Amino acid sequence: MKRGILSILPLALGAALYGFAFGILAAQIGFPWWGVMLMSGLVHAGSSQIVAVEQFGAHGFVLGAVLAGAALNLRYLGIIASLSDVLKDVPMRIKLLTIHITGDENWALTMAKRAGDPTIGAPFLIGSGLTMIAVWTASTTAGALVGGAIPDLKNYGIGFAFTAAFIAMARAMWQGRTSILPWAVTFALTFGLVEMGLSAAYAIVLGALAGVSLGQLRKKAEGQTP
Amino acid sequence: MTGAQWTLIVLLAVAAYAVRLAGLFGGQAMAAKPRLKPFLDDLPGCLVVGLVAASLAGEPMMTWAAALVALVIAILSNNVVLTMAAGMTAIVVGQIMAGA
Repeated sequence: MKRGILSILPLALGAALYGFAFGILAAQIGFPWWGVMLMSGLVHAGSSQIVAVEQFGAHGFVLGAVLAGAALNLRYLGIIASLSDVLKDVPMRIKLLTIHITGDENWALTMAKRAGDPTIGAPFLIGSGLTMIAVWTASTTAGALVGGAIPDLKNYGIGFAFTAAFIAMARAMWQGRTSILPWAVTFALTFGLVEMGLSAAYAIVLGALAGVSLGQLRKKAEGQTP
Repeated sequence: MTGAQWTLIVLLAVAAYAVRLAGLFGGQAMAAKPRLKPFLDDLPGCLVVGLVAASLAGEPMMTWAAALVALVIAILSNNVVLTMAAGMTAIVVGQIMAGA
């Protein structure tokens, strides 16, 4: 476990910077520092939290914000499923804790290390996960404390930080040429619908569903081509 | 903290953990289903692109220019913090230039 705790530290530093920035933004939207701490400890999903908080701040629509945040977390179906071998000898109560503290970074590090050293297993995953959730919770809380103490940053374009974060997330999710069509359709449709006056929450869902559907149709068509 | 903020945190926590539980107990079977796979693969990326589009709708050219700067830095660095820093710098510089 100690090896996991220490090995993840360089990745934890990157998450801490991101967490600090998220904490500032959440505080500017009106979340108290302890609310941000609670959210980070209970949710422990950076991209979900930033999307949900942005949607909540922009539209005040709780359910839409939760759905948008939760949808971004769908990748954890595959991430957690891939841990079945790592967790096969772990008691259920430890499994239930481990899946909560598992994030992108410590999952990827565990799987990468395990590929070269089969002795790497659940203790490494748990140690690195404990480091990540502690660093994430502390850094977002620190950001919220700073963000709460600074006067209103909205006049300085702080809202654009969310847009920039979304752009960075999209870059990380880029899957190559196959992403072009679904993403282009999503962008154009969502933008057009919002410009026409539709609520952004609905426009995003409609745009994303259209993008996914057309992308899938294209994949099928290409699969049928000899 | 408002009731809406409490509701957001609790529901988001439940939803996030529910996805993880689904992964623990049935993730491999769900991921293998051909009908669900494209949604699992493509939906998160499309949602994020939709968020970018919605946040840029109705915005002035300066915001689009800052988004372009952020996009270039994102492509080059693949780093969230650097991208946010570059985007915010571009916005602030744009505001200073507009005010000058």
